[in-house]
Amino acid sequence: MTRDRLGGLMWALAALAAIAFAVIPLIWMVLTSLKSNREITQDSTIIPMQFTGENYVSLFSGREFGAYLTNSIIVTALSVAIALVLGTMAAYALARFRLWAGMHRYVGFSLLVVRLMPPIVIIIPIFLAARQLGLLNTRLSLIVIYAAFNVTIVVWMMESFFREIPVDLEEAAMVDGDTRFTAFRRIVLPLAAPGLVATGIFTAISTYNEFLFALVLTSTPSAQTMPVGAATLIGRINIDTGAMSAAGVIGALPIVIFSLFVQRHLVRGLTMGAVK
Amino acid sequence: MTPKLAARSLRGSGLDRVLPYLMLGPAIFLVLGVIVYPLIDGLRSSTGFFRFGRLIRSVGLDNYAQAFKDPAFIEALLTTARFVFFVVTIETILGLALALLCAREVRFIRRIRTTLILPMIVTPVVVGIVFRLIYASDAGLLASLARSLGMDPPQILSNGSSAFWGLVFLDVWEWTPLLFLILLAGIQSLPVEPFEAARVDGAGSWRTFVDHTLPLLRPVILVAVTLRAVDALTTFDQVYVLTGGGPGTSTQLISIYGYQTFFQFQQVGYAAAMLFMVAVVVLVGSGFAVGMMRRRPR
Repeated sequence: MTRDRLGGLMWALAALAAIAFAVIPLIWMVLTSLKSNREITQDSTIIPMQFTGENYVSLFSGREFGAYLTNSIIVTALSVAIALVLGTMAAYALARFRLWAGMHRYVGFSLLVVRLMPPIVIIIPIFLAARQLGLLNTRLSLIVIYAAFNVTIVVWMMESFFREIPVDLEEAAMVDGDTRFTAFRRIVLPLAAPGLVATGIFTAISTYNEFLFALVLTSTPSAQTMPVGAATLIGRINIDTGAMSAAGVIGALPIVIFSLFVQRHLVRGLTMGAVK
Repeated sequence: MTPKLAARSLRGSGLDRVLPYLMLGPAIFLVLGVIVYPLIDGLRSSTGFFRFGRLIRSVGLDNYAQAFKDPAFIEALLTTARFVFFVVTIETILGLALALLCAREVRFIRRIRTTLILPMIVTPVVVGIVFRLIYASDAGLLASLARSLGMDPPQILSNGSSAFWGLVFLDVWEWTPLLFLILLAGIQSLPVEPFEAARVDGAGSWRTFVDHTLPLLRPVILVAVTLRAVDALTTFDQVYVLTGGGPGTSTQLISIYGYQTFFQFQQVGYAAAMLFMVAVVVLVGSGFAVGMMRRRPR
């Protein structure tokens, strides 16, 4: 009994240490952002003596954080939506039909390999192409690129979800008078919904967080996203620690809030995004 | 899907013959146009000489040869290799420990897991900011702690070696959760029988771990390590914000050097050649990882 309790205590201590390791750096950023500049540079306190919102006020007046946020939300929402629609269609085709030249067997696999291609290796041709097409510094260019990267992972994940749904269910519905489309909508889609949610979460997080394409392709607040806004801000205000920490908090806040909202599906979404 | 079922679903109206291609088409074209074509285009420009962004003449494989005579490239390659080796090793060990810790079902375990993966959700650029706020020699967390203990604040980002380890620590903080998640999923899908047998035999927990958990987990570990290594190879955002590659060239990873070669030094062909070599390594590595995942029975 005592041995069990000792083991339990050890476990709790280890878990606590792990949690502290994960959150202390973030808490430090939040604390710094709530201090006055005087306190940051001269008093070097750990916990602020006086909480102040001045860093945030300066971030939203004069600096374009509202625009960055709008751009990020538009770009993320549209590219994820496009990817989910196109990717789900493609995944359904791969899972349910036998295609020419055995395509249903290797297309999903090839797309996943493409997905793991890091942006840096195609950034040069993408930049040159965007310049030629006059798409530099537009949200459209980001939406198209993110949609392409996201569609690969949507196909890969949704294909395996569709395969797990017995084809008999649809066929029974079609015998009963459903068309392929209504059978898909009434039978398959509800069953695949958890997969769709998980996929959506994973793609939304990685799209919001993307930096390199946005850095290279956009140059003004009319198209720049939150990560680029935060990074360029610190380039300009190197020494203003208060503003820097506030920018970090504002930059991460949308995606952290989103994660809290989808908490129930989060671990599943991230795990599948990583291993499926 | 068995061929018979497929054949059955193919028999149907005439539309069913073209329908799958219509459904597949948009996704395929999007990926071909936006990812595959630029990749090929990049390969083409890697054999060219450019001035002011315009192709002047083809130089064959000269750009590739140049890379291996370029000490900065070799150095960036070695720095990247060192970085990848250390972060992947540390993250795998810590991730495995965390996964074993969190594999048991106790109260609040979901909350705990969600909290532990927070670092990998936070925007990488912001992670860079977070660690600047920790390392900063004037107002950073470490400096403030040192001062309150009456010590001199450490100068982490102004010294080459400590900046490198600072970057390693950042990466460990950010990406251990990924290894943790993958390995946790692996542990949760392990068969129960060997562990029950081991308990009956009276094997201790360390022996059980070495004899059963590790060997059974090996394929998952291999996939996780490969995925992480491939991704770490092109780490960019955090370095860009934390050190910009410095001080000197101590944290100049290959992605940072490639980026600078293009955007600062305007050497389009050379940068493309360099990054294409990285792409080959990434493609081989990720092809291997994805192949492994497919073979694993689910």
